[in-house]
Order: sequence, then structure tokens, then C-alpha cells
Amino acid sequence: MKQIATQLSLLAPRINARTIQLIVLIVTLSLLALGAGAPAGGGSGVPGVGG
Amino acid sequence: MLLLLALVAGLLAGLTRAWIRKRQYQTRTLKYLWLVTVGVLPQVAAFFIPGIRDLIPITLVKIFLFLSLMALLAFILVNLRQAGMWIIGTGLASNFWVILVNGGLMPISPETVQRIYPQAAQEFILPGMRLGWSKDIIVPEVNTRFIWLTDKFITPKLWDLQYAFSVGDVIIAIGIFWLLWSLGGPAQHT
Repeated sequence: MKQIATQLSLLAPRINARTIQLIVLIVTLSLLALGAGAPAGGGSGVPGVGG
Repeated sequence: MLLLLALVAGLLAGLTRAWIRKRQYQTRTLKYLWLVTVGVLPQVAAFFIPGIRDLIPITLVKIFLFLSLMALLAFILVNLRQAGMWIIGTGLASNFWVILVNGGLMPISPETVQRIYPQAAQEFILPGMRLGWSKDIIVPEVNTRFIWLTDKFITPKLWDLQYAFSVGDVIIAIGIFWLLWSLGGPAQHT
């Protein structure tokens, strides 16, 4: 993760490497939540249901 | 939605905690991040991308979900020492278990489906059918193993949307909240 943060901070030097590390952590947790959790609903893909 | 709320709430709570205590909000170095990407990709293909998800037969969807959950479980195991990770792992294991013992998808009862989709056409919510493009399969409660671990619970009705969720989802949400909350605490070296 540190390597990713360092690489990204080289591309965008104004952004603190710690901030990027935190963003990487949050994105990782979001993906983990998306994959690990299984709530159903919200109108996604059920015929006859909008949204 | 539930898990997204946990993420936002955990982040806000952690930032507030750090601000009150005049500490810097920390970050954590997680190992083997590629396991999450590799783990989520099959699910994105099977559940989210129109055009691709239509082409994947249900047997392959089950295999994708199994491999995906295995990769995510491996990621959690290698990062188990991080705060909250064992809680997330418990929730994931709960979901994984009930999916496995019920044939490869998360069971949801026809009654629960009718409550979250009262306007859905009846012919699309019959027992044995997959619920739209989700991870859920419609199974009557009498034919469901470990019913209390399935998508049995329903969120309050907000903005005309309702979600069915499992005990595992709640545990994952608590784990995510806990991890982000802990980042506002005293510095730890991991």
C-alpha cells in the first residue's frame, strides 16, 4: 500500500502521501464491503422494479 | 447501502475522535491489496456489468462467488491483526457459510422479496429464481438452512427503497466502523 501511495504522490505532488494512503484504505474497504456483504434491494435488476 | 453507511459513519466518527483528542487521523498499511481487487472482479462481472452479467450462467455465477469470497477471506486472514478485521472476517464467514450450505447463493424468502419489492411482477419472484442480478436466490424459509444467517432482515423504508440484509452484513458493517473509528485513536505500529 505504501508503494501505491508513494507512486500516486509522485504523480500528484501536492497531495500528501498519507492522504493517498488513507484514500487507498477507504477504497479497499469499500471494495471489501461490496464483495463481502450481500444486502439485496434498491430496485437493482428485478424486472418490474425501477431504480 | 448498510455497508456504505458504516463506512461513512466510521470515517466521520474516527475523524471526530481524532479532532477531539487533537491527534492525527492515522492510516493502516494493509497487505496483499490485490486479493481484494481479484476477489471483487468476478462479482463485478457477475452482478454489476450489464451485457456481461447476462451472459454468465448461474452455475458460473456460483463458482465466481465462491472464488471471490475465498479471495476476500484470504485477504482478511493475512490482515487479521488490524483492528476490526476479525469482526469483518466473522461477518464474511457467516455470509460465506450460509451461501455454501444453501447451494452457492444467498437465500432470500419470497415473503422478504415481496416486502422489499411490493411492485415486482410475480412471475419474476418465484422460488428457485435468482433475485434480479443480485447474489440472492429465492428460497422458501422451510427449505432454507440456517435461516437466521440469510437475507432475512429489512431496513426501514427510506426514500422508497428497502434492503434485505443478513446478520453477516451487520457484523461486517460493525467491523468496518470499528476499523475506521480506531484510526482516530492512539497511534499503533502494525
